[in-house]
Amino acid sequence: ATVDGDGKTGNWVNRLPIPGLGAENVFRLISSATGSPIGQFISSPVTFLHSVDPRIKLVWLLTLVVLPARANLVVRLGLVLCTALLSILVLPRQVWIDQLARVSLLSGILFITLGLGSDGAPPMLQSRTPPSSITSLPNLPMSLSGYSYMLLKLGPLQFTRKGLSVGSTAACLTFIIFQSASICLATTTPEQLALALRWFLFPLTYIGVPVSEIILTLLLSLRFINLVFDEVRSVSLGIVSRRVNWQQLTVLETLDIFASFIRRIFKNIFRHAEQISQAMIVRGFRGESSSHKIYFFSGSSNKFADFASVLCLIGVISTALLSEYFLV
Amino acid sequence: MNGHCLFAASPPRLFPLRSISSSVSPSGSYRIKFSDNVAVECRNLCFSVSTRQGISVPILRDCSFRIPSGQLWMILGPNGCGKSTLLKILAGVVNPSSGTVFVEKPKNFVFQNPDHQVVMPTVEADVAFGLGKYHDMNQEEVKSRVIKALEAVGMRDYMQRPIQTLSGGQKQRIAIAGALAEACKVLLLDELTTFLDESDQMGVIKAVKDLINAKKGDVTALWVTHRLEELKYADGAVYMENGRVVRHGDAATISDFIKAKQSSYIDQIGS
Repeated sequence: ATVDGDGKTGNWVNRLPIPGLGAENVFRLISSATGSPIGQFISSPVTFLHSVDPRIKLVWLLTLVVLPARANLVVRLGLVLCTALLSILVLPRQVWIDQLARVSLLSGILFITLGLGSDGAPPMLQSRTPPSSITSLPNLPMSLSGYSYMLLKLGPLQFTRKGLSVGSTAACLTFIIFQSASICLATTTPEQLALALRWFLFPLTYIGVPVSEIILTLLLSLRFINLVFDEVRSVSLGIVSRRVNWQQLTVLETLDIFASFIRRIFKNIFRHAEQISQAMIVRGFRGESSSHKIYFFSGSSNKFADFASVLCLIGVISTALLSEYFLV
Repeated sequence: MNGHCLFAASPPRLFPLRSISSSVSPSGSYRIKFSDNVAVECRNLCFSVSTRQGISVPILRDCSFRIPSGQLWMILGPNGCGKSTLLKILAGVVNPSSGTVFVEKPKNFVFQNPDHQVVMPTVEADVAFGLGKYHDMNQEEVKSRVIKALEAVGMRDYMQRPIQTLSGGQKQRIAIAGALAEACKVLLLDELTTFLDESDQMGVIKAVKDLINAKKGDVTALWVTHRLEELKYADGAVYMENGRVVRHGDAATISDFIKAKQSSYIDQIGS
């Protein structure tokens, strides 16, 4: 590592000269990527959402997937606003700024592309309303109430009511799903989520579904995914630090390095998996999820927080249902 | 401190093995039962692997040593001398080719890389993982054991922390806590400080030492390392070379022996 003038260790990877070739940049990007996956549990500060029962949180998540797809535009926007406000209230400042910026950007791109693209190339012939040049009939009169299908025209692109509907649905759905999942993951430990999932899946054990195995696999996956991130980062860092002269390499040789990169990652991941399975055996796991108890210490669930959460859930669902009658 | 200080490793004349009843387990590994105050004992232990050409390569050759209960012992030696393999045999992960092994139970093995040992996403669930095999234990008892184990390694405040947010040293302590939660009598620790900086290295070794002192003879630890400075925390040590136990005895004597070897090597280079 390099040492700055003030004695701090700098990120030396970013200081290596860039030859300006794609492969180098790709590996550099991977190696400098964060080792922590998005949406990890934040243990402090403890908020009221930390004390809500994880089962209620899962119901909330399901509701927030279904509602924006079916609800009115106003309700969708309301849900987006509420989710954003909740993020600001619950998450630490740096986290919510980073998350809201990313999700807003993604949703914005979706809204613009789908809004302009859904009716961007209108067909010459409409099956139900053929143009007057074909039928030799006068044009249909414009709506007396000022209704216009086309909302905005930007050169060859047009923003129609269909575009607005498709774009807003996709953008709102994306924003709400990503952000509500982030809030849930930030305030719930993986074990609490697994516990809640096990509670919902438990009835399936009567028809032979291996619920214990599913839950153990989920927990191991949640642990293993971090090792995969670390491994990918480490191997790409190893390639960057070797100062490969990419400009001298042919396309096939570059592809060969990429292939060896992927091969190395898989080899290391399988080695990790082998070692972890050995550790599990040493720690008493004998291969049967049903006979090895997994302990979940779900944090103390606050009854008031649970009640308030359920009440809000009923309120949101009722508003969405009523909006279908009053805001059409 | 162990009564006998230093022994030349030439078993079976090395030390008399009393009250031995050897037997072969279904897995093929040999077990000896002792009635005296010994936590770990190996006698004439050999282990070899076969190459693709069918050639047998010896990894451990005729290893014999004894570790009294309630002490911290270290296994030292150059890379590839068979330290980790010996520890894996003691843990029961690998079966020896021949020889006899006794390890007091319950025992636990802590891997060199904590990422291999820690299998659950959150601290408390991981420390409790090893207790899953005890079906008669209730949730309260498990929680109490988890808290005590985390307190022993100074990680009580990290119960709900995701594993990926911990440093290497903290993960290593969690791995040790997982072993402690099972109230094991013998801790087999494989190069725990390899990936750690000096501060974490000392933190982990002190946590183990404090635990052994606190348990007053109940817990024995066998620590594999090749860092000579860690030897000052040990009650005794085993020095290995080329798959053989060259010396075993109290820490000071082994330290002197290794330093003498180093000086001799430096003189050899200088001449």
